[in-house]
Amino acid sequence: MTELRLHRDLYVGTAVDEAVAVFAPHATLERHDAPSHWVVQITAATPQRERRVAGELGNYALGLTVKGRRR
Amino acid sequence: MCYASVTEGPHSGMTMDLQGIPTGLASLDLGAASASIRVDGAAYPLDALYGAAYVFIDRCYVLLDRPDGADGAWRVTLAWKKGEPTAEQLRALAGEFANELLSCAWRSQIARESRAMIESVTAQALGGAMGPPSLDDLEKYDFSEETFEDPLGIAMSWEEKHKKKARADDPGAVPAPLQEKKS
Repeated sequence: MTELRLHRDLYVGTAVDEAVAVFAPHATLERHDAPSHWVVQITAATPQRERRVAGELGNYALGLTVKGRRR
Repeated sequence: MCYASVTEGPHSGMTMDLQGIPTGLASLDLGAASASIRVDGAAYPLDALYGAAYVFIDRCYVLLDRPDGADGAWRVTLAWKKGEPTAEQLRALAGEFANELLSCAWRSQIARESRAMIESVTAQALGGAMGPPSLDDLEKYDFSEETFEDPLGIAMSWEEKHKKKARADDPGAVPAPLQEKKS
């Protein structure tokens, strides 16, 4: 299991939600909230796949956050 | 294997400092195929950090974080997407990110300083794009207002400024150049 922790000061919660919805078909994703972070637990068939999903999900959430700030 | 995880993977933890960069500012983790950079929040605005991160999301996995007790500093983790990078490749990646970050910070400062001018020019352009005034607009325009003051006669034409003053006994007085032409 891989845990992706995205800081609340740097990532918008709606962006994380949207990213989780987009990548849900590729792995089992569980979303939790920590005091300072949005936490996504990722479970997939292999560690490599978990790493890839975590990386892409993080990039996606970051992209949405940046785009949201530019509007 | 983990990515920004609280659980430790089999190869993570083999970190080393980046050659040529002051100790503690950047490090490599060959096992996790990632480079980590510490960014001072006082030196680089958040917009610059986002800008640089956005440029790199097609090349690597970018994770932004604010470590506990980092005193306003951010941590950027750049993880290689495919394959196993060499230390030199990760060093180059981190270096390019640092350069991009500096560029974004500089552009951010320029944008902040010239914001008023950009807004003024944009407003003028939008005003011009509205086209010439309509007849109704012209009808409402108040032409009775005094024109601007011109004590030095700058707005006066050359002919008006230098023409001969008409005397009472010379009703046909004309400017000097025209007199020469006649003779």
